[in-house]
Amino acid sequence: MNQPHIFHEIDNSMTGLKDKILLMASLTRQNLERAIQALLTRDIDLARMVIGDDSDVDDLEVKIDQQGMDILIRFHPVASDLRLVITSMKTAHNLERISDHAVTIAKRARKICKSSEPLETNIIEPLYTMAETLLRDALLAYTDANTDLGEGLKSCDKQLDAAHKEVVALLSSRLENSEGRAESLLHLILVARSLERIGDLAVNIGEDSVFLSEARDIRHDKRKSSDLGENPA
Amino acid sequence: MGTAIQIQNVNFAYGAKQVLHDVTLDIPDRQVTAFIGPSGCGKSTLIRCINRINDRIPGARVTAGSIHIHGIDIHREDLNLQELRRRVGMVFQKYNPFAKSIYDNVVFGLRIAGVKNRAELDDAAEKALTNAALWDEVKDRLHTSATGLSGGQQQRLCIARVIATEPDIVLMDEPCAALDPLATLKIEELITELKKKFTIVIVTHNMSQATRCSDRTAFMYLGKLIEYGGTLQIFENPKDPQTEAYITGAFG
Repeated sequence: MNQPHIFHEIDNSMTGLKDKILLMASLTRQNLERAIQALLTRDIDLARMVIGDDSDVDDLEVKIDQQGMDILIRFHPVASDLRLVITSMKTAHNLERISDHAVTIAKRARKICKSSEPLETNIIEPLYTMAETLLRDALLAYTDANTDLGEGLKSCDKQLDAAHKEVVALLSSRLENSEGRAESLLHLILVARSLERIGDLAVNIGEDSVFLSEARDIRHDKRKSSDLGENPA
Repeated sequence: MGTAIQIQNVNFAYGAKQVLHDVTLDIPDRQVTAFIGPSGCGKSTLIRCINRINDRIPGARVTAGSIHIHGIDIHREDLNLQELRRRVGMVFQKYNPFAKSIYDNVVFGLRIAGVKNRAELDDAAEKALTNAALWDEVKDRLHTSATGLSGGQQQRLCIARVIATEPDIVLMDEPCAALDPLATLKIEELITELKKKFTIVIVTHNMSQATRCSDRTAFMYLGKLIEYGGTLQIFENPKDPQTEAYITGAFG
Protein backbone atom coordinates (compact mmCIF):
# COMPACT_ATOMS: atom_id res chain seq x y z
CA MET A 1 0.00 0.00 0.00
CA ASN A 2 2.98 2.28 0.56
CA GLN A 3 4.42 1.72 -2.90
CA PRO A 4 2.69 3.67 -5.66
CA HIS A 5 0.74 1.73 -8.24
CA ILE A 6 2.09 1.54 -11.78
CA PHE A 7 -1.32 2.75 -12.92
CA HIS A 8 -1.55 6.01 -11.01
CA GLU A 9 -5.29 6.31 -11.42
CA ILE A 10 -5.61 3.56 -8.78
CA ASP A 11 -3.67 5.70 -6.28
CA ASN A 12 -5.80 8.73 -7.15
CA SER A 13 -9.02 6.79 -6.61
CA MET A 14 -7.84 5.23 -3.35
CA THR A 15 -6.68 8.61 -2.03
CA GLY A 16 -10.02 10.13 -3.03
CA LEU A 17 -11.85 7.40 -1.14
CA LYS A 18 -9.80 7.90 2.02
CA ASP A 19 -10.20 11.68 1.80
CA LYS A 20 -13.97 11.28 1.70
CA ILE A 21 -13.85 9.04 4.78
CA LEU A 22 -11.78 11.65 6.62
CA LEU A 23 -14.22 14.39 5.66
CA MET A 24 -17.18 12.25 6.73
CA ALA A 25 -15.44 11.43 10.02
CA SER A 26 -14.78 15.10 10.66
CA LEU A 27 -18.42 16.06 10.00
CA THR A 28 -19.70 13.18 12.14
CA ARG A 29 -17.52 14.14 15.10
CA GLN A 30 -18.60 17.76 14.70
CA ASN A 31 -22.28 16.75 14.64
CA LEU A 32 -21.83 14.69 17.79
CA GLU A 33 -19.98 17.46 19.62
CA ARG A 34 -22.60 20.04 18.63
CA ALA A 35 -25.48 17.76 19.66
CA ILE A 36 -23.99 17.38 23.14
CA GLN A 37 -23.25 21.11 23.35
CA ALA A 38 -26.86 21.82 22.38
CA LEU A 39 -27.99 19.56 25.22
CA LEU A 40 -25.62 20.93 27.84
CA THR A 41 -26.11 24.61 26.97
CA ARG A 42 -29.82 24.33 26.07
CA ASP A 43 -29.08 25.71 22.60
CA ILE A 44 -32.03 24.93 20.31
CA ASP A 45 -30.43 26.59 17.25
CA LEU A 46 -27.36 24.40 17.58
CA ALA A 47 -29.60 21.32 17.84
CA ARG A 48 -31.38 22.35 14.64
CA MET A 49 -28.04 22.82 12.91
CA VAL A 50 -27.05 19.24 13.78
CA ILE A 51 -30.32 17.89 12.40
CA GLY A 52 -29.84 19.86 9.18
CA ASP A 53 -26.16 18.96 8.68
CA ASP A 54 -26.80 15.23 8.87
CA SER A 55 -27.75 15.20 5.19
CA ASP A 56 -24.12 16.07 4.31
CA VAL A 57 -23.01 12.90 6.08
CA ASP A 58 -25.71 10.88 4.32
CA ASP A 59 -24.57 12.22 0.95
CA LEU A 60 -20.98 11.27 1.70
CA GLU A 61 -21.99 7.72 2.56
CA VAL A 62 -23.67 7.39 -0.83
CA LYS A 63 -20.64 8.91 -2.60
CA ILE A 64 -18.21 6.60 -0.79
CA ASP A 65 -20.28 3.53 -1.69
CA GLN A 66 -20.42 4.66 -5.31
CA GLN A 67 -16.67 5.33 -5.44
CA GLY A 68 -15.98 1.97 -3.81
CA MET A 69 -18.07 0.20 -6.41
CA ASP A 70 -16.38 2.16 -9.19
CA ILE A 71 -12.97 1.03 -7.91
CA LEU A 72 -14.12 -2.60 -7.69
CA ILE A 73 -15.41 -2.48 -11.27
CA ARG A 74 -12.53 -0.56 -12.82
CA PHE A 75 -9.46 -1.88 -11.04
CA HIS A 76 -10.40 -5.29 -9.59
CA PRO A 77 -8.37 -4.57 -6.44
CA VAL A 78 -6.86 -7.39 -4.42
CA ALA A 79 -5.02 -7.76 -1.10
CA SER A 80 -4.59 -4.48 0.83
CA ASP A 81 -6.30 -2.49 -1.93
CA LEU A 82 -9.39 -4.68 -1.70
CA ARG A 83 -9.38 -4.46 2.08
CA LEU A 84 -9.17 -0.66 1.90
CA VAL A 85 -12.22 -0.45 -0.35
CA ILE A 86 -14.29 -2.86 1.74
CA THR A 87 -13.24 -1.30 5.04
CA SER A 88 -13.90 2.23 3.79
CA MET A 89 -17.42 1.33 2.70
CA LYS A 90 -18.12 -0.30 6.07
CA THR A 91 -16.58 2.63 7.96
CA ALA A 92 -18.78 5.04 6.01
CA HIS A 93 -21.83 3.01 7.04
CA ASN A 94 -20.80 3.09 10.71
CA LEU A 95 -20.13 6.85 10.55
CA GLU A 96 -23.54 7.44 9.02
CA ARG A 97 -25.16 5.58 11.89
CA ILE A 98 -23.11 7.56 14.42
CA SER A 99 -24.28 10.78 12.81
CA ASP A 100 -27.86 9.49 13.03
CA HIS A 101 -27.33 9.05 16.76
CA ALA A 102 -26.03 12.63 16.93
CA VAL A 103 -29.30 13.70 15.30
CA THR A 104 -31.24 11.63 17.84
CA ILE A 105 -29.36 13.39 20.64
CA ALA A 106 -30.03 16.79 19.04
CA LYS A 107 -33.75 16.02 18.78
CA ARG A 108 -33.88 14.95 22.45
CA ALA A 109 -31.90 18.09 23.37
CA ARG A 110 -34.45 20.24 21.52
CA LYS A 111 -37.28 18.64 23.48
CA ILE A 112 -35.45 18.94 26.80
CA CYS A 113 -34.75 22.63 26.06
CA LYS A 114 -38.43 23.27 25.57
CA SER A 115 -39.16 22.04 29.09
CA SER A 116 -39.07 24.76 31.75
CA GLU A 117 -37.97 22.29 34.44
CA PRO A 118 -34.19 22.28 35.16
CA LEU A 119 -32.40 19.01 34.40
CA GLU A 120 -28.91 17.72 35.38
CA THR A 121 -27.84 17.09 31.77
CA ASN A 122 -24.19 17.08 32.82
CA ILE A 123 -24.77 13.55 34.19
CA ILE A 124 -24.24 12.22 30.65
CA GLU A 125 -21.06 14.26 30.02
CA PRO A 126 -18.68 11.44 31.09
CA LEU A 127 -20.47 9.10 28.69
CA TYR A 128 -19.94 11.60 25.88
CA THR A 129 -16.26 11.92 26.73
CA MET A 130 -15.84 8.14 26.59
CA ALA A 131 -17.83 7.73 23.37
CA GLU A 132 -15.97 10.60 21.70
CA THR A 133 -12.61 9.13 22.75
CA LEU A 134 -13.63 5.76 21.35
CA LEU A 135 -14.65 7.37 18.07
CA ARG A 136 -11.44 9.40 17.84
CA ASP A 137 -9.28 6.33 18.50
CA ALA A 138 -11.26 4.20 16.03
CA LEU A 139 -10.67 6.77 13.31
CA LEU A 140 -6.98 6.98 14.21
CA ALA A 141 -6.80 3.19 13.95
CA TYR A 142 -8.26 3.46 10.44
CA THR A 143 -6.08 6.32 9.20
CA ASP A 144 -2.82 5.21 10.85
CA ALA A 145 -3.35 1.44 10.39
CA ASN A 146 -2.87 1.21 14.16
CA THR A 147 -3.83 -2.35 15.03
CA ASP A 148 -3.18 -2.04 18.76
CA LEU A 149 -5.48 0.95 18.99
CA GLY A 150 -8.17 -0.85 16.99
CA GLU A 151 -8.00 -3.94 19.17
CA GLY A 152 -7.94 -1.96 22.41
CA LEU A 153 -11.31 -0.34 21.78
CA LYS A 154 -13.27 -3.33 23.06
CA SER A 155 -12.05 -2.90 26.61
CA CYS A 156 -12.76 0.87 26.51
CA ASP A 157 -16.25 0.10 25.26
CA LYS A 158 -16.83 -2.17 28.23
CA GLN A 159 -16.09 0.81 30.51
CA LEU A 160 -18.57 2.88 28.53
CA ASP A 161 -21.18 0.11 28.85
CA ALA A 162 -20.67 0.03 32.64
CA ALA A 163 -20.91 3.81 32.91
CA HIS A 164 -24.05 3.76 30.76
CA LYS A 165 -25.68 1.26 33.14
CA GLU A 166 -24.87 3.46 36.12
CA VAL A 167 -26.27 6.58 34.46
CA VAL A 168 -29.45 4.80 33.41
CA ALA A 169 -29.88 3.42 36.95
CA LEU A 170 -29.40 6.89 38.42
CA LEU A 171 -31.81 8.57 36.02
CA SER A 172 -34.37 5.78 36.48
CA SER A 173 -34.23 6.22 40.26
CA ARG A 174 -35.03 9.91 39.81
CA LEU A 175 -38.03 9.09 37.67
CA GLU A 176 -40.01 7.96 40.73
CA ASN A 177 -40.19 11.43 42.28
CA SER A 178 -39.71 13.39 39.08
CA GLU A 179 -43.00 15.26 39.10
CA GLY A 180 -42.92 17.33 35.89
CA ARG A 181 -39.50 16.11 34.75
CA ALA A 182 -40.33 12.53 33.80
CA GLU A 183 -40.42 13.14 30.04
CA SER A 184 -37.09 15.00 30.08
CA LEU A 185 -35.50 12.27 32.18
CA LEU A 186 -36.66 9.67 29.64
CA HIS A 187 -35.13 11.78 26.86
CA LEU A 188 -31.86 11.87 28.81
CA ILE A 189 -31.92 8.09 29.25
CA LEU A 190 -32.27 7.74 25.48
CA VAL A 191 -29.40 10.18 24.95
CA ALA A 192 -27.28 7.92 27.17
CA ARG A 193 -28.43 4.96 25.08
CA SER A 194 -27.31 6.72 21.89
CA LEU A 195 -23.87 7.39 23.37
CA GLU A 196 -23.57 3.75 24.34
CA ARG A 197 -24.46 2.73 20.77
CA ILE A 198 -21.89 5.17 19.37
CA GLY A 199 -19.28 3.29 21.42
CA ASP A 200 -20.37 0.02 19.80
CA LEU A 201 -20.15 1.55 16.31
CA ALA A 202 -16.69 2.96 17.09
CA VAL A 203 -15.61 -0.57 18.09
CA ASN A 204 -16.89 -1.79 14.70
CA ILE A 205 -14.66 0.77 12.97
CA GLY A 206 -11.71 -0.33 15.09
CA GLU A 207 -12.31 -4.00 14.24
CA ASP A 208 -12.50 -3.19 10.55
CA SER A 209 -9.23 -1.25 10.89
CA VAL A 210 -7.52 -4.39 12.18
CA PHE A 211 -8.85 -6.24 9.12
CA LEU A 212 -7.55 -3.42 6.93
CA SER A 213 -4.05 -3.60 8.40
CA GLU A 214 -3.61 -7.32 8.94
CA ALA A 215 -6.48 -9.10 7.15
CA ARG A 216 -7.46 -10.44 10.57
CA ASP A 217 -11.16 -10.59 11.43
CA ILE A 218 -11.56 -9.95 15.16
CA ARG A 219 -15.32 -9.46 15.16
CA HIS A 220 -17.11 -11.70 17.62
CA ASP A 221 -13.72 -12.75 18.96
CA LYS A 222 -14.70 -13.73 22.51
CA ARG A 223 -11.18 -14.82 23.37
CA LYS A 224 -9.74 -11.44 22.44
CA SER A 225 -12.45 -9.68 24.38
CA SER A 226 -11.65 -11.67 27.53
CA ASP A 227 -7.96 -10.95 27.07
CA LEU A 228 -8.65 -7.28 27.37
CA GLY A 229 -9.20 -6.32 30.93
CA GLU A 230 -11.26 -9.35 31.92
CA ASN A 231 -10.41 -12.53 33.73
CA PRO A 232 -8.74 -14.80 31.13
CA ALA A 233 -9.68 -17.92 33.06
CA MET B 1 -5.89 -34.70 -1.45
CA GLY B 2 -2.54 -36.23 -2.39
CA THR B 3 0.44 -34.64 -4.04
CA ALA B 4 0.61 -35.06 -7.81
CA ILE B 5 3.86 -33.23 -8.47
CA GLN B 6 6.68 -32.79 -6.01
CA ILE B 7 9.26 -30.20 -7.02
CA GLN B 8 12.22 -30.15 -4.66
CA ASN B 9 15.08 -27.64 -4.64
CA VAL B 10 15.12 -27.37 -8.41
CA ASN B 11 17.77 -25.31 -10.16
CA PHE B 12 17.55 -24.97 -13.91
CA ALA B 13 19.91 -23.44 -16.45
CA TYR B 14 19.98 -22.61 -20.12
CA GLY B 15 23.68 -23.30 -20.68
CA ALA B 16 25.54 -21.12 -18.20
CA LYS B 17 22.53 -18.97 -17.40
CA GLN B 18 20.68 -20.18 -14.32
CA VAL B 19 17.00 -19.27 -14.51
CA LEU B 20 15.44 -21.25 -11.65
CA HIS B 21 16.85 -21.05 -8.16
CA ASP B 22 16.05 -23.64 -5.52
CA VAL B 23 12.36 -23.98 -6.34
CA THR B 24 10.39 -26.23 -4.01
CA LEU B 25 6.63 -26.81 -4.10
CA ASP B 26 4.11 -29.62 -3.91
CA ILE B 27 1.29 -29.48 -6.44
CA PRO B 28 -1.86 -31.23 -5.22
CA ASP B 29 -3.72 -33.86 -7.17
CA ARG B 30 -6.90 -32.83 -9.02
CA GLN B 31 -6.65 -29.17 -8.27
CA VAL B 32 -5.76 -26.18 -10.42
CA THR B 33 -2.43 -24.57 -9.55
CA ALA B 34 -1.59 -21.23 -11.17
CA PHE B 35 1.92 -19.87 -11.70
CA ILE B 36 1.99 -16.07 -11.84
CA GLY B 37 4.80 -13.55 -12.06
CA PRO B 38 6.32 -10.99 -14.42
CA SER B 39 7.76 -12.00 -17.80
CA GLY B 40 11.07 -13.78 -17.45
CA CYS B 41 10.44 -14.91 -13.86
CA GLY B 42 10.77 -18.58 -14.81
CA LYS B 43 7.16 -19.74 -14.58
CA SER B 44 7.05 -21.12 -18.14
CA THR B 45 10.46 -22.72 -17.67
CA LEU B 46 9.21 -24.39 -14.50
CA ILE B 47 6.02 -25.74 -16.07
CA ARG B 48 8.07 -27.08 -19.00
CA CYS B 49 10.32 -28.92 -16.56
CA ILE B 50 7.34 -31.00 -15.43
CA ASN B 51 7.09 -32.92 -18.73
CA ARG B 52 10.76 -32.40 -19.60
CA ILE B 53 9.90 -30.56 -22.78
CA ASN B 54 12.87 -28.30 -22.05
CA ASP B 55 15.08 -31.28 -22.87
CA ARG B 56 14.62 -30.39 -26.53
CA ILE B 57 16.60 -27.17 -26.05
CA PRO B 58 20.37 -27.74 -26.32
CA GLY B 59 22.14 -26.95 -23.05
CA ALA B 60 18.91 -26.63 -21.07
CA ARG B 61 18.85 -28.82 -18.00
CA VAL B 62 17.83 -29.21 -14.37
CA THR B 63 21.16 -28.75 -12.58
CA ALA B 64 20.01 -29.61 -9.08
CA GLY B 65 16.98 -30.91 -7.22
CA SER B 66 14.30 -33.32 -8.31
CA ILE B 67 10.80 -33.56 -9.70
CA HIS B 68 8.56 -36.49 -8.80
CA ILE B 69 5.19 -37.23 -10.35
CA HIS B 70 3.10 -39.48 -8.16
CA GLY B 71 6.32 -40.57 -6.51
CA ILE B 72 8.26 -41.30 -9.71
CA ASP B 73 11.47 -39.37 -10.34
CA ILE B 74 11.08 -37.97 -13.86
CA HIS B 75 14.85 -37.75 -14.30
CA ARG B 76 15.63 -41.34 -13.55
CA GLU B 77 17.61 -43.05 -16.32
CA ASP B 78 15.10 -45.73 -17.28
CA LEU B 79 12.18 -43.29 -17.62
CA ASN B 80 10.16 -43.63 -20.82
CA LEU B 81 9.98 -40.03 -22.03
CA GLN B 82 7.10 -40.73 -24.41
CA GLU B 83 5.09 -42.24 -21.57
CA LEU B 84 5.91 -39.22 -19.37
CA ARG B 85 4.54 -36.86 -22.01
CA ARG B 86 1.44 -39.01 -22.40
CA ARG B 87 0.83 -38.78 -18.69
CA VAL B 88 1.70 -35.09 -18.56
CA GLY B 89 -0.03 -33.35 -21.46
CA MET B 90 0.54 -29.76 -22.46
CA VAL B 91 -1.53 -26.97 -23.98
CA PHE B 92 0.29 -23.96 -25.39
CA GLN B 93 -0.41 -20.27 -25.66
CA LYS B 94 -0.93 -20.36 -29.43
CA TYR B 95 -3.43 -23.04 -30.32
CA ASN B 96 -1.71 -25.41 -32.69
CA PRO B 97 -4.03 -27.95 -34.29
CA PHE B 98 -2.45 -30.05 -37.00
CA ALA B 99 -3.54 -29.39 -40.59
CA LYS B 100 -5.78 -32.41 -40.39
CA SER B 101 -9.42 -33.09 -39.68
CA ILE B 102 -10.93 -32.44 -36.26
CA TYR B 103 -11.19 -36.20 -35.73
CA ASP B 104 -7.60 -36.90 -36.76
CA ASN B 105 -6.38 -34.20 -34.37
CA VAL B 106 -8.19 -35.69 -31.40
CA VAL B 107 -7.04 -39.28 -31.98
CA PHE B 108 -3.52 -38.30 -33.00
CA GLY B 109 -1.93 -39.25 -29.69
CA LEU B 110 -3.83 -42.52 -29.51
CA ARG B 111 -2.67 -43.53 -32.99
CA ILE B 112 0.91 -42.72 -32.01
CA ALA B 113 0.36 -44.99 -28.99
CA GLY B 114 -0.68 -47.78 -31.38
CA VAL B 115 -4.45 -47.77 -31.08
CA LYS B 116 -5.91 -48.82 -34.45
CA ASN B 117 -9.37 -50.11 -33.62
CA ARG B 118 -11.83 -47.72 -35.26
CA ALA B 119 -14.58 -48.14 -32.67
CA GLU B 120 -12.11 -47.51 -29.87
CA LEU B 121 -10.84 -44.36 -31.61
CA ASP B 122 -14.41 -43.15 -32.23
CA ASP B 123 -15.31 -43.61 -28.58
CA ALA B 124 -12.17 -41.85 -27.40
CA ALA B 125 -12.75 -38.94 -29.80
CA GLU B 126 -16.33 -38.45 -28.62
CA LYS B 127 -15.32 -38.70 -24.98
CA ALA B 128 -12.42 -36.25 -25.34
CA LEU B 129 -14.46 -33.74 -27.35
CA THR B 130 -17.30 -33.99 -24.84
CA ASN B 131 -14.91 -33.43 -21.93
CA ALA B 132 -13.44 -30.47 -23.81
CA ALA B 133 -16.98 -29.04 -24.21
CA LEU B 134 -16.64 -29.14 -27.97
CA TRP B 135 -18.61 -32.21 -29.03
CA ASP B 136 -21.94 -30.48 -29.65
CA GLU B 137 -20.25 -27.84 -31.78
CA VAL B 138 -18.30 -30.23 -34.04
CA LYS B 139 -20.06 -33.61 -34.00
CA ASP B 140 -21.52 -33.01 -37.47
CA ARG B 141 -18.23 -32.00 -39.06
CA LEU B 142 -15.63 -34.23 -37.47
CA HIS B 143 -13.92 -34.86 -40.76
CA THR B 144 -13.58 -31.27 -41.83
CA SER B 145 -10.35 -29.33 -41.34
CA ALA B 146 -9.55 -28.28 -37.77
CA THR B 147 -8.18 -24.98 -39.05
CA GLY B 148 -11.73 -23.96 -39.98
CA LEU B 149 -12.68 -23.70 -36.31
CA SER B 150 -12.67 -20.42 -34.37
CA GLY B 151 -9.69 -19.62 -32.15
CA GLY B 152 -11.48 -20.67 -28.97
CA GLN B 153 -12.67 -23.88 -30.60
CA GLN B 154 -9.15 -24.64 -31.86
CA GLN B 155 -7.80 -24.23 -28.33
CA ARG B 156 -10.49 -26.53 -26.93
CA LEU B 157 -9.62 -28.99 -29.71
CA CYS B 158 -5.99 -28.89 -28.54
CA ILE B 159 -7.22 -29.61 -25.00
CA ALA B 160 -9.32 -32.50 -26.37
CA ARG B 161 -6.22 -33.82 -28.15
CA VAL B 162 -4.31 -33.76 -24.87
CA ILE B 163 -6.99 -35.38 -22.74
CA ALA B 164 -7.76 -38.06 -25.35
CA THR B 165 -4.66 -39.89 -24.19
CA GLU B 166 -5.98 -39.80 -20.62
CA PRO B 167 -3.08 -38.02 -18.93
CA ASP B 168 -2.84 -37.53 -15.16
CA ILE B 169 -1.69 -33.94 -15.48
CA VAL B 170 -2.48 -31.16 -17.93
CA LEU B 171 -0.01 -28.29 -18.18
CA MET B 172 -1.34 -25.07 -19.69
CA ASP B 173 1.04 -22.32 -20.70
CA GLU B 174 -1.07 -19.15 -21.04
CA PRO B 175 -3.87 -21.06 -22.77
CA CYS B 176 -6.10 -18.01 -23.19
CA ALA B 177 -3.51 -15.43 -24.22
CA ALA B 178 -4.72 -15.43 -27.83
CA LEU B 179 -8.44 -15.70 -27.10
CA ASP B 180 -11.25 -13.16 -26.75
CA PRO B 181 -13.00 -12.75 -23.35
CA LEU B 182 -15.88 -15.11 -24.09
CA ALA B 183 -13.63 -17.85 -25.49
CA THR B 184 -11.46 -17.31 -22.39
CA LEU B 185 -14.44 -17.87 -20.10
CA LYS B 186 -15.28 -21.10 -21.94
CA ILE B 187 -11.73 -22.35 -21.37
CA GLU B 188 -11.93 -21.35 -17.69
CA GLU B 189 -15.23 -23.18 -17.32
CA LEU B 190 -13.58 -26.16 -18.99
CA ILE B 191 -10.60 -25.99 -16.61
CA THR B 192 -12.98 -26.03 -13.65
CA GLU B 193 -14.64 -29.17 -15.05
CA LEU B 194 -11.39 -30.86 -16.03
CA LYS B 195 -9.92 -30.62 -12.54
CA LYS B 196 -12.36 -33.31 -11.44
CA LYS B 197 -10.34 -35.73 -13.55
CA PHE B 198 -6.93 -34.15 -14.03
CA THR B 199 -4.33 -32.19 -12.10
CA ILE B 200 -3.97 -28.86 -13.86
CA VAL B 201 -1.05 -26.46 -13.78
CA ILE B 202 -1.60 -23.16 -15.55
CA VAL B 203 0.78 -20.32 -16.30
CA THR B 204 -1.09 -17.07 -16.63
CA HIS B 205 -0.43 -13.34 -16.80
CA ASN B 206 -4.10 -12.75 -16.15
CA MET B 207 -4.47 -12.50 -12.39
CA SER B 208 -8.24 -12.36 -12.57
CA GLN B 209 -8.04 -15.69 -14.35
CA ALA B 210 -5.87 -17.10 -11.57
CA THR B 211 -8.38 -15.92 -8.95
CA ARG B 212 -11.33 -17.28 -10.91
CA CYS B 213 -10.17 -20.77 -11.69
CA SER B 214 -7.20 -21.83 -9.57
CA ASP B 215 -7.16 -23.43 -6.13
CA ARG B 216 -3.54 -22.60 -5.39
CA THR B 217 -1.25 -19.89 -6.68
CA ALA B 218 2.52 -19.67 -6.86
CA PHE B 219 4.15 -16.26 -7.34
CA MET B 220 7.58 -16.35 -8.95
CA TYR B 221 10.11 -13.59 -9.42
CA LEU B 222 13.62 -13.66 -10.86
CA GLY B 223 13.62 -17.46 -11.00
CA LYS B 224 12.61 -17.90 -7.38
CA LEU B 225 9.37 -19.05 -5.83
CA ILE B 226 8.44 -16.09 -3.65
CA GLU B 227 5.13 -17.28 -2.26
CA TYR B 228 2.86 -20.28 -2.69
CA GLY B 229 -0.50 -20.80 -1.06
CA GLY B 230 -4.25 -21.01 -1.45
CA THR B 231 -5.41 -18.64 -4.18
CA LEU B 232 -7.76 -16.72 -1.90
CA GLN B 233 -5.04 -16.31 0.72
CA ILE B 234 -2.57 -15.06 -1.91
CA PHE B 235 -5.03 -12.51 -3.31
CA GLU B 236 -6.60 -11.46 0.01
CA ASN B 237 -3.62 -11.44 2.30
CA PRO B 238 -0.27 -12.22 0.71
CA LYS B 239 2.49 -12.78 3.24
CA ASP B 240 5.39 -11.51 1.14
CA PRO B 241 5.60 -7.77 0.29
CA GLN B 242 6.83 -8.65 -3.22
CA THR B 243 3.68 -10.68 -3.85
CA GLU B 244 1.55 -7.84 -2.49
CA ALA B 245 3.33 -5.34 -4.73
CA TYR B 246 2.98 -7.53 -7.83
CA ILE B 247 -0.68 -8.45 -7.50
CA THR B 248 -1.76 -4.91 -6.60
CA GLY B 249 0.23 -3.44 -9.50
CA ALA B 250 2.67 -1.53 -7.30
CA PHE B 251 5.70 -3.43 -8.55
CA GLY B 252 9.12 -2.31 -9.69
